[in-house]
Amino acid sequence: MSTVVPTVPIESATRTDSVVRRLLRRPSGALSAAVVLLLVIATVGAPLFAPYAPTTLDFAHLFAPPSRDHLFGTDELGRDLLTRILYGGRTSITLGFAATALAMGLGILWGFTAALREGWFGEILMRAADTLMAIPAILLGLVLVAAFGTSTLSMVVILGIIFTPATARIARSSLLAELRSDYYLAAVSVGASGRRIVARELLPNALPVLVARASLVLAEVIFVEASLSFIGLGIQPPDTSWGTLLQQGYTNLYSSYTYALFPGFVILVAVLALNVLGDNLQKVLDPSQS
Amino acid sequence: MTATLPETATDVVLRVRDLVVEITMPRREPIRPVRGVSFDVRSGRRLGIVGESGSGKSLTALSLMRLLPPRARIAAGHVLLRGSDLANVSEREMARVRGGQISTVYQDPMSSLNPLMTVGRQITEAIAAHEGVGRREARERAIQVLGDVGLPQPERRIDDHPHQFSGGMRQRVMIAMAICTSPDVLIADEPTTALDVTTQARIMEMLGRIVEERRMGVILITHDLGLASSFCDDIHVMYAGRIVESGTGGAVLSTPAHPYSEALLDSICGLDRDVERPIAAISGQPPLPHQLPPGCPFHPRCAYAQEVCTVEPPPAVTVREQVAECHFPVGSGMA
Amino acid sequence: MLRYVLRRLVTSFALLILGSMVVFLLMRVIPGDPTITKLGGSIKEVDKATLDGIRAELGLDKSIPAQYVDWVSGILHGDFGASYFSQFSVTSLVEQRYGATLLLAFMSMIIGILIAVPASVAGAIWPNRILGGLLSGFAAVGIAIPTFVIGIGLIIVLGVELEWLPTQGYVSFRADPIESVKSTLLPAITLGIGVAAATMRILRPSLFDVGSSSFVRTAKGKGLLRRQVVVRHELPNASIPAITAAGIIVAHLVGGAVIIEYVFARPGLGSLLVDSVYQRDYGVLQALVLLAVAVFIVTSLIVDVILGFIDPRLRTKAVT
Repeated sequence: MSTVVPTVPIESATRTDSVVRRLLRRPSGALSAAVVLLLVIATVGAPLFAPYAPTTLDFAHLFAPPSRDHLFGTDELGRDLLTRILYGGRTSITLGFAATALAMGLGILWGFTAALREGWFGEILMRAADTLMAIPAILLGLVLVAAFGTSTLSMVVILGIIFTPATARIARSSLLAELRSDYYLAAVSVGASGRRIVARELLPNALPVLVARASLVLAEVIFVEASLSFIGLGIQPPDTSWGTLLQQGYTNLYSSYTYALFPGFVILVAVLALNVLGDNLQKVLDPSQS
Repeated sequence: MTATLPETATDVVLRVRDLVVEITMPRREPIRPVRGVSFDVRSGRRLGIVGESGSGKSLTALSLMRLLPPRARIAAGHVLLRGSDLANVSEREMARVRGGQISTVYQDPMSSLNPLMTVGRQITEAIAAHEGVGRREARERAIQVLGDVGLPQPERRIDDHPHQFSGGMRQRVMIAMAICTSPDVLIADEPTTALDVTTQARIMEMLGRIVEERRMGVILITHDLGLASSFCDDIHVMYAGRIVESGTGGAVLSTPAHPYSEALLDSICGLDRDVERPIAAISGQPPLPHQLPPGCPFHPRCAYAQEVCTVEPPPAVTVREQVAECHFPVGSGMA
Repeated sequence: MLRYVLRRLVTSFALLILGSMVVFLLMRVIPGDPTITKLGGSIKEVDKATLDGIRAELGLDKSIPAQYVDWVSGILHGDFGASYFSQFSVTSLVEQRYGATLLLAFMSMIIGILIAVPASVAGAIWPNRILGGLLSGFAAVGIAIPTFVIGIGLIIVLGVELEWLPTQGYVSFRADPIESVKSTLLPAITLGIGVAAATMRILRPSLFDVGSSSFVRTAKGKGLLRRQVVVRHELPNASIPAITAAGIIVAHLVGGAVIIEYVFARPGLGSLLVDSVYQRDYGVLQALVLLAVAVFIVTSLIVDVILGFIDPRLRTKAVT
């Protein structure tokens, strides 16, 4: 008789297609996913979807209220607000994706290292993360802006750094949970060694929680970027982001309410949708937590 | 099904007739885990409701206090206490009955007490909810009742918090809380399941003494036949939502009339048993409420089942000193 | 109880020291020469002697550990160092402005709790799908909406259109308490909504969990009315996770205060912080960040003490 050990694929609850299906079955999950998708497509594809070019001026209609020509009205130079919001969103969202990717990448490295080296080294890594997490995000952002300036690259780096410690904590606890799970212990006891084989099984199970987290991180990143740009310490003109639009709306508050409120509303929708999506993903991926 | 004792209506404190509990299920037909239960509770007498988990005994107890879970309700029947039907009274009325005229002692003393409140406060709260006594008198009574349940140094321990007591002592506190308002009926739902055997014996002894002193009617709900036999005067055996046998403890346990009671007794391991003899477990599982067999619900597991048992629900038959719902009661010569 | 508090005090103190070192190092790591800032930005015309003079003035010629010791001993004497930008000492700057921020934080917390607790308790006493949905919706939107958007909205409605409350500036509490509170009300409501939403997000699920626990069944079985059960038994137990999270909520509050002070033009520590970033005034920045960390540590300490009061299990050991 041959001694082939059949490899049974681990029936994890994390198969992508089943996750997506379960997500879409929940009404809040489907709705939030749709909204996020819509926002991302509309803003990243702003050149395609915007009704006007961002530099089109219309001096006849300054601070115009919403109309059929200008769905969201116009600003102080007669530029269409919807267009500006779409282009601003392009900046905010691509910046957000980049910073989130950075935070996730660094956080995973940090957290996984701390999980794999459990001794005092891992402890120190985590204490450092805790200390950084004690400083409110906006505060830390301001300090880093003082240090690194406000170029677009700096903003990506700064926002990424702010959210790295929180991601690191989750990455660490996620990997630790896998390391303590029965299937890992079983694999080790059967002699499965070689980091690569182990990594092939562990990582796919440790990552989904982080993916769910990414949605929540992106929401926070957009929030903080908007806050920093709002007080003038984020994205700088002539670049626009949702935060800079809000700031301009605020300075022109007495001329036009909609100028300030529409960008604010869009930020609210984006952050809310990402939060709800993240919550749903967490529940779908790990119903015991959340 | 009524108890077999002579009906001296004067000392019946609680009368349950044809009680039916219904639970609504999502995307399914509603189920009836309690399907027409009747019994009387008399002051000073101890009644035991014995059955496996799933027999409906706990739901019966909850329905007496109208503390059923959200999807459950009393669909039919009467719960008569001092002339009013508890199945129909308002929620406000019911709040007066709970803790005042009917009290329950639950099975998990570790988590059944508010961890943030002192033991004394939890007792005086019960007193204050039902009687308009002043704070000092309520406190005095609390100390008194803690002493009655056998708690040492009650005047000192009255201001302690639940986590400072052991499991057995916590159960004593629960009992004190239940009896401090001198209710007519005390329901004890698996009161000693979570405790070790020695503590169990002591608690039951104390409970018996208290009930005796205060002339309370007691309903003991348990799956433990041994416990029921040592404590209860009358026993009702529940199966699949109905009482299948009732009679005095002595009668039911020495000469059971229903095949189920007989099988339960056979499956007990006594110390004086022949070691070689295999433990007679009852084959099969109790039926789920939505999958009841036709005719007698016990027939798939019954050693004496015949054709009629699979078709017709059994009638209540008086056998010797007890009443059983069976076509062929044990020892009746009808098999 | 006393021993518990003392233990927490000692830990907090140690954390504070650790925090001050981290803040100090963080500042030193930042690129950019503070002496240049002091001079107003351009070094081309200045000679070395002046540069060295300023270095010595700011104490930058000493070694890093020595600078740290100087800084800490200064703080212990109430001297937070010199502002790199203005003539005022950091201490006097902080003194001028802490009142506005303190009042704002205080009022925001109170408003937040006054909204969150009754709303959550009502949701528990009268479980109703519509009410529950509204409350959860409020909580979800409340933490997603940037504080300054709420602020702008409130300014428009209450400040400009209805003209009920002032939208800018600040009157010192000592000068005129009523006007002071009025001028703080709008920003406090803005931040308070965020605090309420964050609190409700924890308190409502917690109440829900506690509602199905055994001791609540016992309380009902005693014949207590629904509202008595919720207020006396469910709420105290459910508030424990919410109080534990107070530290995080305060941290968000601090971040939000920075933005709100800018929006409402309040001369507080938040706007001071923003100014110091604009001006690259590291002396002020350093002190303020340390202050923020200290606030966080003190809040954690207060939270632990409050929990010690509420939960007797933390004070005395359990019997098994």
